[in-house]
Amino acid sequence: MTNSVIHLEDVKRYYLVGDFFVKALDGVSLDIEEGEFTAIMGPSGSGKSTMMNLIGCLDTATSGNIFIDGENTSGLNEAELAYIRNQKVGFVFQQFNLLGKESALRNVETPLLYAGIKPRIRKKRAMEALEKVGLADRIYHRPNELSGGQKQRVAIARAIVSNPAILLADEPTGALDSKTGNQIMELFENLNDEGRTVVFVTHDRDLGNRCRRQIHIKDGRIER
Amino acid sequence: MFWENIKLALSAMRSSKMRTALSLLGIVIGVGAVVAILNLGDSATANITESLNAGGTDIIQIWTNPNERTEEVFTSEFSNTIKNSVEGIDSVMPTMMYSASIRANQKNIGAQIMGTETKYFDAQQLSFKQGSAYTSMQNINYDEVAVLGSEIAQDLFNVENPIGQKINFILRSGMVKTYEIVGVLEEKEQSFTMSFNDSVYIPFNTFTTKLINNDVVSSYIVKTNKDYNTITVSDNINKFLDTSVGNDSYNSFSPAMITTMASQVTATLSLFLAAIAGISLLVGGIGIMNIMLVSVAERTKEIGIRKALGASPSVIRGQFIVEAVTLTLIGGFLGILFGSFISLAVTNIAGWTLSLSTNSFIVAVGFSMFVGIFFGWYPAMTASRLDPIEALNYE
Repeated sequence: MTNSVIHLEDVKRYYLVGDFFVKALDGVSLDIEEGEFTAIMGPSGSGKSTMMNLIGCLDTATSGNIFIDGENTSGLNEAELAYIRNQKVGFVFQQFNLLGKESALRNVETPLLYAGIKPRIRKKRAMEALEKVGLADRIYHRPNELSGGQKQRVAIARAIVSNPAILLADEPTGALDSKTGNQIMELFENLNDEGRTVVFVTHDRDLGNRCRRQIHIKDGRIER
Repeated sequence: MFWENIKLALSAMRSSKMRTALSLLGIVIGVGAVVAILNLGDSATANITESLNAGGTDIIQIWTNPNERTEEVFTSEFSNTIKNSVEGIDSVMPTMMYSASIRANQKNIGAQIMGTETKYFDAQQLSFKQGSAYTSMQNINYDEVAVLGSEIAQDLFNVENPIGQKINFILRSGMVKTYEIVGVLEEKEQSFTMSFNDSVYIPFNTFTTKLINNDVVSSYIVKTNKDYNTITVSDNINKFLDTSVGNDSYNSFSPAMITTMASQVTATLSLFLAAIAGISLLVGGIGIMNIMLVSVAERTKEIGIRKALGASPSVIRGQFIVEAVTLTLIGGFLGILFGSFISLAVTNIAGWTLSLSTNSFIVAVGFSMFVGIFFGWYPAMTASRLDPIEALNYE
């Protein structure tokens, strides 16, 4: 056993495409400690998205073990994986993935809703999270009334509201202009300074280099 | 979570109003038809019962069908035999019938002449507009007196007072008999076996001795004791008659029995029709399934996001089943309004009193919930089984 927040043991993820296997991840072992700011870098098709999906429990490995916050996720069923996603992982996506019909506040409340937290406490914690990302004055706006940067801030508030062990960001600045992207990057840096474990998936070398640790992936294996 | 799901369902409906309205229509029509048919069935039963009971539910009528063996039996004395053989009888009145042409006030009409005892008027709850019934004394004395049904009096005398006037019966033999009018009945709704308004009543004894020389009784009117059930008494009379005269020699009717039969028939019929209407509810349910499948497909991305945020398959399933049930329940309530309105309109046109049955509403709500769960299940399962990554990347 290990004390790492993320611990991967010889993880393989193969897809059957037609008659042959695609080895998206081909034996990856990795430890990420609490409070680290790690960039997972690599060209598209390298397997970095697959790795993110596995760490985020959106996908399950073909073989190998994945420990999230000390818990082995292999062999868990859909409902148990949903529970880990809800409790231990906060996702930030390139395309924001906000619920379009809901206000910023309701979007941020959603993970707490699935955690079974009472409405009053839900609202309070969601407001706090939105305040933290600097959107206290936009809580009743819907996503289509917000700019790209604001949308991503809502998404970050949603990712941190349940106080997860890992903040998992997949190209979070990919859909933003460089100035806004920079602000979002700063927000992640601040969150890391507060002690949050951040895993940052990107193919952008400059952004990657701003992280404290870089993991390069190529053809489903860790290069360096 | 449950209320959250209802909020989600309502917001999903708001975002596609036209589609929601159209798929609701199937449920509204289905539930409306079931509610209308059940309510109309109840109202029809109430209406039939009311008209059958016009003659009094405590009356049993036995029509004789004499043959050579039994024509000796069906005498006026046989009334007492029946009364003494079966428990629960208040009185038995023999009645005679004869169709004849009658003449009065220079007018001719056809009528049914009935020979009855005085107590017949009370038993059938007949009241008098003018004059009164002939007395028992007049019956014993073979007096040639007559009571007119309201329609007969109207036809022959219009607004004139018939009391004390003469009426002529022209018999089939050509003989003419003259009687004195002593009473006119109030109008009374026709019962299943009797038309009171176009009959002329004369004393029983006068009928058998002076009108026509025949003492084979046409029918016995049995009034049951109010402490006994008419149908039970009727059954016992039938048993007695089956053994004493044979079941081919008589027919018996009681409004109570016919009422029971008629309510059974209408109940069965309306249940049958409601089952057919239920088929339209089934079709409505398929419409719900269709819209739910479309909704799931359209919201694939949303489902992916919710799964990423920690919604378990059962939570997603719950969301869509609640959405389907909310949809069908709204349809159900609108259907109840629609069905009640139809019932109200039809009963108004038919002139029945509307009796709304709570049962039909419970059935309607229950059915719409069932349809929601049944037809929402498959789309909800589809949603809950979506792969989170594929759903997230769905555009």
